[in-house]
Amino acid sequence: MSDYNDREILDGLRVLASEEPRQAPKHVETFLLSAFRRRARRRRLTAWVTAAGIGAIAAGIATLVWLAEPMLKRAPVSDRAVASAPAQADSAAEVKYAVIRTDEVASSFYPLPEADALPPLESAMVVRVQLPLASLQLMGFPVNDEAGADPVEADVLLGQDGLARGVRLIQ
Amino acid sequence: MLDSPSLSDGDLLRLISAGDERAFLAFYRRHQGSVFRYALQMSGKQEIAEEVTQEVFLLVMSIAKEYDPNRGSAAAYLYGIARNFVLRCLEREKPYLTVLDEPGSEYANRAAGSHDVLGELTRNERIESLRKAVLALPPAYREVVVLCDLSELEYAEAAGVLGCAIGTVRSRLHRARALLMEKMRASERCTA
Repeated sequence: MSDYNDREILDGLRVLASEEPRQAPKHVETFLLSAFRRRARRRRLTAWVTAAGIGAIAAGIATLVWLAEPMLKRAPVSDRAVASAPAQADSAAEVKYAVIRTDEVASSFYPLPEADALPPLESAMVVRVQLPLASLQLMGFPVNDEAGADPVEADVLLGQDGLARGVRLIQ
Repeated sequence: MLDSPSLSDGDLLRLISAGDERAFLAFYRRHQGSVFRYALQMSGKQEIAEEVTQEVFLLVMSIAKEYDPNRGSAAAYLYGIARNFVLRCLEREKPYLTVLDEPGSEYANRAAGSHDVLGELTRNERIESLRKAVLALPPAYREVVVLCDLSELEYAEAAGVLGCAIGTVRSRLHRARALLMEKMRASERCTA
């Protein structure tokens, strides 16, 4: 029998390639499909829980506003408060009331994630609330995990429809 | 209905990342054969090939949206993932892997099942010897033979999968074929 040469090796490899099984067994496909379905179900559940969480926060804020409204001491909005309102607010928006004391330091208003989808601001009200740290985290504020469980004071900017547009923290 | 043949791999991967089951199925059916064969040719074991195929497509579900068509074909992308899993499996099974002589291995079964005429037997023996010689190559040489000769990837694609220069692929392939020739000659001398 002749010694092997390059051509014979290549021919042999070609035969080898043509003889190999061309498909993975069916049970691999079945397993992967069920894994894909499990994963899709998990994704849907996660989306639902997130939406429910955001809804609960919005409802919580609305309840706080509703409960706190009679007790709020309303004062005219300072120039600083109007200037720091979210940028998407209509320039003609009429901001009626706020609860700002001169001894407080307020951050700028941060627009809430879902505020972009709301109608333009025509009139607004700023309401002082106390928010748990977890709510701030869900709104996208960086929160130190080691911080205490005490709620923080914040001003919520409500539009003419009573929906929150922005939040600022008060110190 | 998803018209999968008209959709590119990139389109399918985008749909997969959005949770489209039909897109996943179409993508799987398009590529599973090459991934499975690659893993089988690299490992010589059916169960490793099945495991690698599963792992590759499970990973595809998670990272489909990260695929960038500008960085190479989806096939090369899959070979790259499969390669990592295969090398991990081979490393894990190193102490136990005796593919060439193991009675239960995929190839041993296939060789034992050949009961044809003498010419066919001789041919089968030579192919079987070549298969064993490929599996006995060091992994760095085996993978270029599997990618370029058995899976028929272009040198550039193989270089992309292996993360090396085309020149390296060429030189490894040259060396791998020389090693195969040596092994085949040695095996023939033993037979004689």
